[in-house]
Amino acid sequence: MKRSIILAVSVILAVSGLLLAKSSGLLQNTAKPNTAADDKSQTPDAQSKDNSAPAPNPPTPKIGTAAPNFTLADMKGDKIQLSSFKGKAVVLDFWATWCEPCKLEMPWMVDLQKKYGPQGLQIIGVAMDDADDKTIMEFARKMGVNYPVLRGTEAVADLYGGLDGLPATFFLDRSGKIVDEGVGLMSQSVIENSIKHALEGTPAHSAGGK
Amino acid sequence: MKHHRAICSALVTILLVGLACAQESSSPSQGRTFVDFVSASKAVVSPGHSAPVQFTFHVQDPYHINSSKPLVEELIPTQLHFSLPGEIAVGKMQYPAGKLMAFPFDPSTKLSVYSGDFVIRGLIMAPTKASTGTYTIHGELKYQACDNNACYPPKKLPFTFDVKVGSGRASHKASHS
Repeated sequence: MKRSIILAVSVILAVSGLLLAKSSGLLQNTAKPNTAADDKSQTPDAQSKDNSAPAPNPPTPKIGTAAPNFTLADMKGDKIQLSSFKGKAVVLDFWATWCEPCKLEMPWMVDLQKKYGPQGLQIIGVAMDDADDKTIMEFARKMGVNYPVLRGTEAVADLYGGLDGLPATFFLDRSGKIVDEGVGLMSQSVIENSIKHALEGTPAHSAGGK
Repeated sequence: MKHHRAICSALVTILLVGLACAQESSSPSQGRTFVDFVSASKAVVSPGHSAPVQFTFHVQDPYHINSSKPLVEELIPTQLHFSLPGEIAVGKMQYPAGKLMAFPFDPSTKLSVYSGDFVIRGLIMAPTKASTGTYTIHGELKYQACDNNACYPPKKLPFTFDVKVGSGRASHKASHS
């Protein structure tokens, strides 16, 4: 009885070990020639064709719900909490240095911060970038950014629907509730309209980014 | 006996759950991709010689990716990398020139991009002492895609192709750069 249990456990451990080794690539042998040659032009394996179902993104927070709170570091390394901006209308602008549409939006954000800052608007840029802080800071300086820039994380991206496309913009009213959101470049007038709704605390139609 | 059977059932269940978890952990988690590997040309090389090889990729409509030499400093270039067995080298990569295109998000600025099919050429080299046979080479295309409205995080497209090291005379004498 005991012997059969030990045997079963050993088999499970051996199979698990093989599976782990395979999934980590340890069993891929490329150093020795294969046994069969393919003389035709080589077509892709399943891995290199985009025919597999992509992993689903986490859900995007809905308009009318509270924006997920987070704490992120700014470019000086100081921790900034989203909830500390309660009482202000907030534009969360997720961007990256490699994103040309994001770059186009930035001067508009700078102008809108100047125009609506006195009424209680706070734009917050969140850089979803692998570049180092110095590169991001230099980029923001070049763009004349006049609002805080935080370094984004995967965890925060997941809170906001995965952020598969950039720019991604969320407009929050003074209580931290989402009044509008959009992925992709929006026109300056659409952004301004959503900012007005955020300041007034009234829901806007979805900006949609198109 | 009943006790024995219950333990065996439990162990089989654990094994099945383990298998399911292993499948889950090895599935891609990088979300959607924008480029497909179409093909690699037949790569046959003799020991001590080199042979041309070309890789064809397809950028899905309506996306574009940066060329290997983007015109804007911050943009991420398309690059091909290989994980090579000791006996094979891939070199002298020749990326196609990007198409100069302006996009609706900024009609005043032209970017250097690839869209549709594009081909990257290179040379396969085998040292004199290379054993004859077929080698599977693992490659990876690094790219960053956008459409007319948004940009998407950088991606890596893994692919494989075979190189046949034979004693034929189809390849050229290798010259290492």
